[in-house]
Amino acid sequence: MLLAYRLALASPRIVARGIEASEFAVEAERHGVSAVPAIVVDDRFAWAGSVPEAVFVERVLAATA
Amino acid sequence: MTGSSTLGETEQAAIREAFADLERDVGVVLELGPAATPVTLLAAGGRELDSNAITRDVVTSVCGLADGVRLTVTEHDEPGPWPRTTIGPGLVYQGMPLGYELTTLVHAIVDAGRAEPTLSAASRERLDALEQDVAIDVFVTPT
Repeated sequence: MLLAYRLALASPRIVARGIEASEFAVEAERHGVSAVPAIVVDDRFAWAGSVPEAVFVERVLAATA
Repeated sequence: MTGSSTLGETEQAAIREAFADLERDVGVVLELGPAATPVTLLAAGGRELDSNAITRDVVTSVCGLADGVRLTVTEHDEPGPWPRTTIGPGLVYQGMPLGYELTTLVHAIVDAGRAEPTLSAASRERLDALEQDVAIDVFVTPT
């Protein structure tokens, strides 16, 4: 979660939101979240699991391409 | 600075130490109200949890541990994605910031209070290539 926040602090184009999956179960289910952390980019499921910073950045860029 | 009954002495000391790194003031906005889609949250033992009350306690306690953290609390009558906590320029967290997410809340405040981003120069350079706005949602659990 913190990595997403750090991207948002570094780029004015990025907004980052953490969502507690059990409290917002309907939203989690809508995105097909079955494991956490689950990353959704522009309302589309992107991947699940923690990754290093450089990988996180590249996956976000790939998801927006 | 104020004390806290929600956080233990050890947690308060650790948070105060983390907040000593703040280089500028940070605004935190806490929004409370009825859930858009009510979900019954149970603690161990089957006790029902009031997510608004718990989040208010935690966020108020954390923000009370540094003079440079300014908290605003807004109460909504309409159902929505509450409780929602917004840190600094737009770091959003929906839900109760408990467990590991309490640590995330504290570090998000610390990062928002830094003069320079903590992301590496290489990553910042890559993000400069973005040509459109991007919304990143991260689903988490508090453990």
